[in-house]
Amino acid sequence: MRNFFTIFCKELRGFFLSPFGWVVLTLVTIMQGWSMSGAMKALQDAPIPESLVYIVFHMPQFWFYFLVIFPLITMRLFSEEERVGTLETLLTAPVQTWQLVFGKYFATLGFYVILWIPAFIQFQLFSILTDVPAPFSSGSLFGAFLLIFLMGSLFIAIGCLASSLTSSQIIAGVVTTGLLFIHYFLGYLTVIYSDRFAAAPVIRYIASNEHLRYFSKGLIDSRAIVYYLTAAAFFLFLTHHVINRRRWRS
Amino acid sequence: MIKVENLTKRFGRHTAVANATFEVGKGEVVGFLGPNGAGKTTTIRMLTGFLPPSSGAASVDGFDVFRKSIDARRRIGYLPESVPLYRDMRVREYLKFRGQIKGLQGERLRMRMEEVVERCGLQGVRRKMIKTLSKGFRQRVGLADALIHDPPLLVLDEPTNGLDPNQIRSIRNLIKQLGDNHTILLSTHILSEVEMICDKIIIIDGGRIMASDTPSNLVNQMRAAGKITVELKADPEKVRAALSQLAHIKKVTNEKSSEGWEHFSVLVQSGTDARERISSLCQENRWPLRSLYRHDSTLEDVFVELTRKD
Repeated sequence: MRNFFTIFCKELRGFFLSPFGWVVLTLVTIMQGWSMSGAMKALQDAPIPESLVYIVFHMPQFWFYFLVIFPLITMRLFSEEERVGTLETLLTAPVQTWQLVFGKYFATLGFYVILWIPAFIQFQLFSILTDVPAPFSSGSLFGAFLLIFLMGSLFIAIGCLASSLTSSQIIAGVVTTGLLFIHYFLGYLTVIYSDRFAAAPVIRYIASNEHLRYFSKGLIDSRAIVYYLTAAAFFLFLTHHVINRRRWRS
Repeated sequence: MIKVENLTKRFGRHTAVANATFEVGKGEVVGFLGPNGAGKTTTIRMLTGFLPPSSGAASVDGFDVFRKSIDARRRIGYLPESVPLYRDMRVREYLKFRGQIKGLQGERLRMRMEEVVERCGLQGVRRKMIKTLSKGFRQRVGLADALIHDPPLLVLDEPTNGLDPNQIRSIRNLIKQLGDNHTILLSTHILSEVEMICDKIIIIDGGRIMASDTPSNLVNQMRAAGKITVELKADPEKVRAALSQLAHIKKVTNEKSSEGWEHFSVLVQSGTDARERISSLCQENRWPLRSLYRHDSTLEDVFVELTRKD
């Protein structure tokens, strides 16, 4: 457990001790602000029956920057260690592989949570600055942020797996982006073909844009929670085995 | 301290290490020699638990490196060949991280850090970023990392690779000092280094252990030990015939002649010395003798003998 904590702290500090983490934080904050102001403008232009939270998370910009966060923050996790050779010093120290995988995973998840603090502040600022009661309920805000967290936990696990598969950051990033885009567009299959094919219920079950619609209305669906957490655990399990493949290969 | 039995590692069809068996006793400083690609690093990686063996077993201090990997790793201080370090960390920070990960904390961690920093001569660069350090200092940081948890066994993979002569000397002195109270497995292909530091030598080539003995024993067993050079003035044919008559002589060759002096090289059986008999032979025949020299075999001869491909 101590080793897990040591690695967790080192990785989380690593995000802030290099310009990299600050660049990502700045970029994400700007994009969050852009979708926020876009949403406010949309509300101003025409009456919309949905809340501000719902509109912010359904702006076209949202998926655009949201899906780019994950390759950025996960691509170097394991591939960099492999390339520089520090994986060798780590795995020849008395550290278990799961401590390494969990340490890195939770540190990245921690950084991801920090990335969403600016968006949270922006929502709080709305009523303070405009003197108008915020056009959303606290339930929809909670639901939306819960789903953001859940999606993050799965997508970071996918990024960890991609990063452990290669010693090239670029390839890891491209693989993560590819997998996330496939996952994202799967959700549109039911929109395009409606429910007229056999796999439609499965697609509905895993599609993130479907979940986002419920959650940002304040409807918290426990099936989605189970889905994201088990899928994240599964990808971490795969990552663990990929790192350990040396131990059972040949 | 280290016990290796029939250790084998195959990568697909390529066998990197084949049936390696050797032992390293407590407190010994052992040189692990071999040409590039001989399987040194693979063997070391199996010992440190980074690669699993295809077959065979290895243990460190009684702990199997595969089944009791964590216990074995606690007892090893390992410096990999490429000295991988986190470039964006400061030296102090790096050593602290490595110490924590190896199970040190609090006062003990602080004490160990101070000790390795002093021992490896890192006082001046404690606060520097690792990426700004020279190769020599990086090597020292790597060594400090290997030492931080005070392991009884040090495994050093080519620790003086790529350093300038002064740095090589200082690292070598450091290893020599460490040898007083550590068991050291030192992989290298610099033979003079081994001669200076090591009590015992293991030579590996093509994945096989070719020899495992003390340097002086290895040198004594070698063929090259029995070469004598003779320089005298006489008819070469007569000399050759006379020399060949002597006991223990294997081969006599007339190498060259200059200004009437004939140079002979005489191969004798190892463990014998024919110089006295050659000199009395010259006296009897009244041949003027200018030089009579027995070549001391070096570790280099041993190494070449065991690992050459032709």
